[in-house]
Amino acid sequence: MKASSAGNLLYRLNLILESALCDVYQTFQNRRIWLEMAKEDIGDQHRRTLLGPFWLLINYLLFVGVFILVFGHSVGLQFFTAYVSTGLLVWVFIAEVFNQSSTLFNRESSFIKGTPMPLATYIMRLLTQSLIRFGYASLGCILLLVLGGVELSPIALWALPGVALVVLMAPAVITVVAFVGAYFPDFQFVVRNVMRVGMFLTPIFWGYGEINGIRAQLYAFNPFTYLVEVVRNPVVYGTVPWMAFAVTTIFGLLFWILALGLLGRFRKKIAYVV
Amino acid sequence: MVSIDVKNLCLEYKIPRRFSLSEGSKPLSAGGRIEQSAGRRVVAALSDVNFSLGSGDRLGLVGPNGAGKTTLLKVLYGIYEPTSGSLDVSGRVDALFNISLGFRKEVTGRRNIELRGLINGWSMEEIRARTDSIIEFSELGEFIDMPLKTYSQGMAARLAFSVSTTFEPEILLMDEWIGAGDASFRDKAAERMKQISQKAGIIVLASHNESLIEKVCNKCLRLENGRADPVVNLETDGAGND
Repeated sequence: MKASSAGNLLYRLNLILESALCDVYQTFQNRRIWLEMAKEDIGDQHRRTLLGPFWLLINYLLFVGVFILVFGHSVGLQFFTAYVSTGLLVWVFIAEVFNQSSTLFNRESSFIKGTPMPLATYIMRLLTQSLIRFGYASLGCILLLVLGGVELSPIALWALPGVALVVLMAPAVITVVAFVGAYFPDFQFVVRNVMRVGMFLTPIFWGYGEINGIRAQLYAFNPFTYLVEVVRNPVVYGTVPWMAFAVTTIFGLLFWILALGLLGRFRKKIAYVV
Repeated sequence: MVSIDVKNLCLEYKIPRRFSLSEGSKPLSAGGRIEQSAGRRVVAALSDVNFSLGSGDRLGLVGPNGAGKTTLLKVLYGIYEPTSGSLDVSGRVDALFNISLGFRKEVTGRRNIELRGLINGWSMEEIRARTDSIIEFSELGEFIDMPLKTYSQGMAARLAFSVSTTFEPEILLMDEWIGAGDASFRDKAAERMKQISQKAGIIVLASHNESLIEKVCNKCLRLENGRADPVVNLETDGAGND
């Protein structure tokens, strides 16, 4: 009895996984669709403007520049430039991914109800958009590091696997947040609020030097800290943040398991919900 | 060999009861019957639909609003999965539901052809091979390289119609007959639809226009509240069977 129910469970899990992988496979077979759509999405936002997509670069430079101008002199301009420009680079990407995905399936409802395209198409469309914006912001970040005269050790290259880890986690995060947002419409407001206060609760403008009290707790127990650290610490301190890499990897795997489960189980149900 | 085999097909979905502080957030249903059981509301959108079609068959779906015609087309297209029963479709399926789906007003007509083609599942080669005949059929001339937002509604509809119908479908699903553009284009469109329906292996057409169904189809399925009557063979049973 027990053995057969365990076998049954395994069989069902296998079906769910198969369904999810089938969706992912079809999405990659038809990657032209979401690549072209994402390109147009970015293009639409800046069409007919003089500077075009360079606004994405300007947005970032202006945002970070103001922070450096206002708060930078107290801790040393070089340090603060490196600290804030890398921290915000990661944060802006994370915040956009979370905010946009909470309403993703509702925004795509006419496609979801009108074509049998695999569901991951929409996830990859959003990821591609976010990556294009992230690319421009990265240019801005490098520009600031150079202009700010930040000295980099070879260890700074560890920021690249850090970025890769954050980017690899993104599709899973989009999937999970999008499914929860589709079934629980209140979730989009929760996400928006969490991301708004998250910018201050996460060590982006603070967290260097000696930290204690509530800030120490926030530093240690906020998962976003580690996502930021995998990119920031190699650049700012020239050290490899093993702990942050470990925490991020674990969170990434958990999100991927959850994402594949949700995709496999509910991908054909979304058309009823949105 | 193209065929569609539908056996005891049922489609049900649950409407969760939600507590909400906002007014007027009752879920909308597309039709079918709403059944209450154990505190959950279940919409039986389709129940026990049976039919099988082979090459050359043209099935007309008729019935009042909310009967399940569009839902059935979407099940055949693969958007909804049947809750129970079996569905076997062999052959490449194309559908004409929302002909302007995915059109972007900021980009040129030519680019829209490309994007829409990708959404239809065409490869870039297929799109390139078809672009000229799409442009020619749409009668847009030089406007094809202008942004879609400079088009009149009729021009946009002509482009949409041309893109959606420039293919050789094995199985074609249509929701209502599409009228696009001015009178002369409408004639051309009707001619195109006739050609497509002659070339397609199987057609399933949902419409309120019964004379159209009689003209185009050889079989007819009446749906009401998600329940289907047996398929009527229009050619042998005659039109007086109603």
